[in-house]
Amino acid sequence: MTTIPVVYVKGQYNHLIARRLQELGVDSHLMPPSTPLEKFEAMKADALVMGGGPQSVRSLDALSDELRDASNLMTKIKLPMLCICVTHQLMATTFGGTTNLARKPEFGPVEVSVSDEDTILAGLKPSFTAWESHNDEIVAAPPRFKVLASSDNCTVQVMRHEKMNLFGVQFHPEVYHTLKGADVFKNFLKVVDDYKRS
Amino acid sequence: MTLEGFRPSSYVTSETVKILETVGNGKAIAAVSGGVDSTVAALVAKRALGDRLFPVFIDTGFLRVGEPENVKARLGEPSLGLKIKLVKAGGRFLEATRGETSAEEKRKKFRETFYQILGEEARKDGCDFIVQGTIAPDWIETQGGIKTQHNILEQVGIDALSTYGFRVIEPISDLYKDQVRILGRHLDVPRDLSERQPFPGPGLLVRCIGPVSKKKLDLLKSSTKIIEEKLGPFNYDQYFGGVIENKFLKDSIYESVEKTTAGALGLPPSETRVDVFEDRVTGVKGDTRSYGRLVGVKIQDESRETYGWLPEKLRLAQSGIVEKFADVTRVAVLVKEKRRGPPLSVIVRAISTRDFMTAAVAQVPWKILKDIAESILKTGDSSRVYYDITPKPPATIEFE
Repeated sequence: MTTIPVVYVKGQYNHLIARRLQELGVDSHLMPPSTPLEKFEAMKADALVMGGGPQSVRSLDALSDELRDASNLMTKIKLPMLCICVTHQLMATTFGGTTNLARKPEFGPVEVSVSDEDTILAGLKPSFTAWESHNDEIVAAPPRFKVLASSDNCTVQVMRHEKMNLFGVQFHPEVYHTLKGADVFKNFLKVVDDYKRS
Repeated sequence: MTLEGFRPSSYVTSETVKILETVGNGKAIAAVSGGVDSTVAALVAKRALGDRLFPVFIDTGFLRVGEPENVKARLGEPSLGLKIKLVKAGGRFLEATRGETSAEEKRKKFRETFYQILGEEARKDGCDFIVQGTIAPDWIETQGGIKTQHNILEQVGIDALSTYGFRVIEPISDLYKDQVRILGRHLDVPRDLSERQPFPGPGLLVRCIGPVSKKKLDLLKSSTKIIEEKLGPFNYDQYFGGVIENKFLKDSIYESVEKTTAGALGLPPSETRVDVFEDRVTGVKGDTRSYGRLVGVKIQDESRETYGWLPEKLRLAQSGIVEKFADVTRVAVLVKEKRRGPPLSVIVRAISTRDFMTAAVAQVPWKILKDIAESILKTGDSSRVYYDITPKPPATIEFE
């Protein structure tokens, strides 16, 4: 069985992520971002998913405790990782990109245009409707990350690291109204399976 | 719909064991409302405790017409066997919430009164435990500071034992509504109950926007009856009404709301009118509580006749307004108004949702909305009827 803990950073939909993964046959529960690395090793975690949250990540110096822990965890853990909404932004800030107040925030349904069907977006061209809820956005993706999808209001909807299995999505694949959200998780599980085999 | 990973029979078994371990030889009260969550929680506890479970129904005064009697009769039927004690406390709840304008204060006063009464009942029956139907969205929204759900204590650091004199048992707190319904069917709950339309714990209190008054409550009760009758056959996941006073902001920044609206609708500004209500409504923007304004949009009858319902354009107007004005959480479109009449508005809301975490606006046929509006205005207790066109997010499902 595949084990994927969900890092709980106080977002509304974090618990739903675990539910979605359970529905796909994954062993998944919420874990705090302060969880030590050894604990993830002991539970034989195959990957991590990090959820959204109400915090702002515009500056690494002014992070909430959870997000500081989550940022540290991102740099230390060597597992495939999918980061959603605020932790997508946190991944950008942590790896040298920039997050700022969105020119136009997005709430509710948003059309996401796929420019690159790479891995987690396989089969999702040309576009799909996703649900979002964010006041901030990534204005510059970090070095060695490529942007895979955008929307009218937000350039970096989806990004991934060129070499490593690090993925970020601004939208919420875990909510019911993102009808193609399950595809994103299934694609991520394929990445995890490949990683387990290698 | 696949629901792998959730097995009702093993869920019931493990929760029954947990309840027995917790309660031992003691007794427990089950707080029931007639809704699917509390009914299922009570039935799970009854499997564990049998006659040592005492179901209590509190009539808060914020219930729908005939509700207390109906629920008592229904849950008492042999197939369910929950013998309900009915506690009438409408006066206490009204007294506790009177004069409060803020939605959160209203909710907290409600919670306080609710648990005081349950504590009194527990002492009368010699119970050390309260079983309640808290589900995942309840603690998620309360912990996340979106809104205070009335049935959350321990998750926000309130120690029930020292504060109210009992311990709380929540057998379904990890589940979402759709999973609770599956559990209900597994426990042989009749379909009309397992699929029953959700109704919030604080009831009409949180649909009475701003300060509560008898006038608003009476209008809300009669309108709720009309809305439920007319929308019932459509099987929307949730549908209800709210009442708000016709007090509007005069702030000049809202003149540009009118421009944004007309622009998005592709209509000349003379064919739209925008009102920004003074009383605030609850929303959620960027995972944060947003207690903001409700914008009422009026489109001239002639343009509506020409353009029809305008669902896509109205959606663009709604998202345009809410994105541009940080203080606005909801947009409603005027269905019908009456020149003379009491300064109160009824807002109709209908949504589609699976788990109540996100919600899309239901496309109720305009003819039906008009029909509802006419019936509501005919009672003479209000002057406007609106339809809420805001998804969740940025609105929440309930108004407060």
